[in-house]
Amino acid sequence: MISRIRQLISRIRQWPLRDRLGLYTLAPILLLLALLLFFPPDGAQRSDWAQFIGGFHLLTIHFPIVLILFVPVVEIAARSRRFQYLLPAIEPLWTLAFFSAVVAAILGWFLARSGGSAGSLVVQHMWAGFFVSLCCWACWRFRGRFAGRRFHIAYLSALALTVILISFTGYRGGQLSHGEAHLTEHLPSPLRNWLGVSKQQGPTAATPDSFFVLRVEPVLAQNCVECHGPSRQKGNLRLDSYEAVMRGGKSGPVVKAGDLKNSDLFQRVSHPPGSEKIMPPQGKPPLPADQIKLIELWISAGASPNLAANAIQGAPGTARAAAEVTIPEIDAAAVAKQRAPFTVTLADLDKRYPDTIEYESRGSAKLAINASLMGGKFGDDDLAQLKPLFDQFVAADFSNTAITDRSASNLAAMKHLRKLRLMQTRITDATVLALGGLNELESLNVFGTRITPAALKAAEHMPDLQHLYAGETIITTNSPLPDALKGKVQF
Amino acid sequence: MVMNNFNLDQGAAADGLANASPENSPAVDAHPEEVLARLQAQTRRHFLRSLSAGVGSLFLGNMALNYAAPAQASELAIDGMPRLDFRRDPTRPLSVLPPQFAARAKRIIYLHMVGAPSQLELFEHKPELMRLDGQDCPASFLQGKRFAFISGVPKLLGSQYPFHQSGQSGAWISDRLPHFEKHVDDVCFIKSMHTDQFNHAPAQLLVHTGNARLGYASMGSWVLYGLGSENQNLPGFIVLVSGGKQPDGGKQLWASGFLPSVYQGVLCRSHGEPVLYLENPKNVSRSLRRSELDAIDEINRQQFAEFGNPETITRISQYEMAFRMQMEATDALDIRKESAATLAAYGSKPGEESFANNCLVARRLAERGVRFIQLYHWGWDSHGSSAREALNAGFTDRCREVDQPMGALLADLKQRGMLEDTLVVWGGEFGRTSMRENRNGSAMQLIGRDHNPGAFTIWLAGGGIKPGITHGETDAMGYEIVKDPVEFRDLHATILYAMGFDHRRLNYSFQGLDQKLTGVKPTRIVSEILA
Repeated sequence: MISRIRQLISRIRQWPLRDRLGLYTLAPILLLLALLLFFPPDGAQRSDWAQFIGGFHLLTIHFPIVLILFVPVVEIAARSRRFQYLLPAIEPLWTLAFFSAVVAAILGWFLARSGGSAGSLVVQHMWAGFFVSLCCWACWRFRGRFAGRRFHIAYLSALALTVILISFTGYRGGQLSHGEAHLTEHLPSPLRNWLGVSKQQGPTAATPDSFFVLRVEPVLAQNCVECHGPSRQKGNLRLDSYEAVMRGGKSGPVVKAGDLKNSDLFQRVSHPPGSEKIMPPQGKPPLPADQIKLIELWISAGASPNLAANAIQGAPGTARAAAEVTIPEIDAAAVAKQRAPFTVTLADLDKRYPDTIEYESRGSAKLAINASLMGGKFGDDDLAQLKPLFDQFVAADFSNTAITDRSASNLAAMKHLRKLRLMQTRITDATVLALGGLNELESLNVFGTRITPAALKAAEHMPDLQHLYAGETIITTNSPLPDALKGKVQF
Repeated sequence: MVMNNFNLDQGAAADGLANASPENSPAVDAHPEEVLARLQAQTRRHFLRSLSAGVGSLFLGNMALNYAAPAQASELAIDGMPRLDFRRDPTRPLSVLPPQFAARAKRIIYLHMVGAPSQLELFEHKPELMRLDGQDCPASFLQGKRFAFISGVPKLLGSQYPFHQSGQSGAWISDRLPHFEKHVDDVCFIKSMHTDQFNHAPAQLLVHTGNARLGYASMGSWVLYGLGSENQNLPGFIVLVSGGKQPDGGKQLWASGFLPSVYQGVLCRSHGEPVLYLENPKNVSRSLRRSELDAIDEINRQQFAEFGNPETITRISQYEMAFRMQMEATDALDIRKESAATLAAYGSKPGEESFANNCLVARRLAERGVRFIQLYHWGWDSHGSSAREALNAGFTDRCREVDQPMGALLADLKQRGMLEDTLVVWGGEFGRTSMRENRNGSAMQLIGRDHNPGAFTIWLAGGGIKPGITHGETDAMGYEIVKDPVEFRDLHATILYAMGFDHRRLNYSFQGLDQKLTGVKPTRIVSEILA
């Protein structure tokens, strides 16, 4: 066995130098193959040194591209007598092209392996790069071997394959560094139509009430858009709309539907604090866990533009779901003006019924009356006294007072009432039936009165009514309720 | 309605003060420069008078100046916002003022469980803690923490009672509160409360006055100061205690601090006379009492005319209120007037001092326009050092004492439409640890938990609060907050918001500072829980 290998080696030694060199240069290609097979890029980040070295991939990659594309030009030119002197340059060109291709490919492996790249774009680019190196080697070998004959079919096809491969590799590389749509993005529409390239490259907009718009976008707006938005586009990435998010940045798409591992948007924000790749970058507060969870759930569920906001069970509430409270400033002059027409009347009535009538607020000319504390001392005649203020009342409480059905028309005249309490009074259905026109009423309280189900007819058509308190009346849980009042009656 | 008739009444009010010379009448509604001039005149006279009585009176003279200075005289803006005017006719300090903006809640019923009830036995369902029950507590729980009693390495303690989900909202709750449970859909839980006090009295002070030190105004006083009371025949801020003891923080919990003392809470007794000596003594008729009070008032008015001390006005109005209360308070606190069905619903037995009776009284007071009703129930300090305070003994009794009444209170308020504008708050002063207490580092016979100021649960219901939700979250052990922490000052700001106030605007000038319930630290209104 050993003797056979010795034999082989001694035979190879007798080969011409060029053939021997060809054989030895297979070694770096095999090395590259081994690297790609056994240490593929897996999305993990590695040492700074490796990343630094990998950075030179972007520089060196242009040598093989230029050299390889230069060869056919020279080949064609050298067909003419005028440029025949270029012919001997072709083989050295291939030598250079081959070596630079292998070096660039190994550097590319450094970049991909240590820089945390993953995904089909990188894989395609990587293998295309490998085959470019291999084809270069073949071209170089064939050019030397078939130098005598002008265009050997093997060399010609290897050359054509190399050019096609380098174009493909370059295109994929461009997609990696400038975004997937870097060529078609700004394709003029006549050309686009002629080529039959569909516009779907730009993803559709998200629907306004979608999970993305209501839950995910606020998180991005709060944490990311400062650097990835209209004013700055770090990494050529914008995150200020669904389209922009799906378009991705210079290292390709950042969201892969249903695939968290290959969705940079999720990966980058979920690095541990202090890691090199974490977003927002070091020194800025990392995303809270529930916000990361929202992004995770959205991507896992398919990164849809129109998934309903409540479609994902158990999604955490957005951190700022409820807007901060804003409190309007009181415009004292405007309030005084609104109050002016009835100020004197009010002051007069206030003396007679102290602590009974009050403004709804300091910024309002609306009034609330609570006569319930006067009890039996407040009756129909007292209520009638308030007539000049009827239009101002938004809340009225006549519970426990001596009012009767005689007040029905007066109550009905308080057109802007939102809340009316008539608890434990002597009113009957006649009063309630008179209130049908109170269109702004939200809450009607007839607890402890002699109201019967017949009175419900009036409440049925109150558009804003939310609550009807009918406890301890003739109305019971067994009484037939109009549909409009279902769920609104409190017993 | 003071805002409006104040100017009209001004003359009458001043006339009503016996012998009030124009120079000495209280400066309530005068131009600031005028006020200053009057004050300076008073100060000089006081100073000369006090010279004869030595340095002590010099100090007193200064005090008088402090009192005489109308707190709200300054028209200066606070933080760029114009000052709200809380001045009132001095003879009617409890008269109603409108809120800053339309309020969702008109009154508050605050149920304080004194001693800090265990959230882990009531509302915090933590299966992971159950799983690790009995194991040594991880060192990270103990690092940098101070405990009242835990020492060494305590054991983790799972909930002592089974949990289940309840209501439409699916809130988790233990089996200790079967009555309250029916109302979880009306309630908003905050599971992420925290405080910086881990001893009862200062923590209680923080809950009620926004500050762990003595001398600050309680929440009820602030609300009463801001809004006044619709019912002039009852105190606007009433306190009821049950469980056999008053809270550790004592009467400071309902004190008015630097606010005029007319705004302090009045502790009413649950049986017998609501306030001691409210009834006339034997052989003293109501008319005799009236003429007696008239004479005292007369003297007080002279005093006020001379010194202008608003506390004198407080005294006069308190005498007057006590006289009116003789009629109304006895009636308001008399639960025998309720139907047998209502008494049964609350589990009330007239004549007892019980939380059930107090809840029923709270509803009666709320109906009568009392602005702030504060209930304290003692006995929740479940250390496990005695049967009364052990999770596997007395805790169950405490739950039974409050469960039915607070459920009945919510039901009652809801039925009467009062939950719309009554804000009910339930909670303790802090929470309890996820570890079993090991007093002095040794195992204890009964089961208990130590104080945990880091995380605990409270609930709110009614006016302005979103029902059926849970805000905030703690870790798998229920030990630390992981989401939406809420400080008491945030809670105060939120409560004041429901009552119609921006907490920054409800303030009172004292010691050169615009004092407010929420203090000076950054405060956030918990907008997530607002309806």
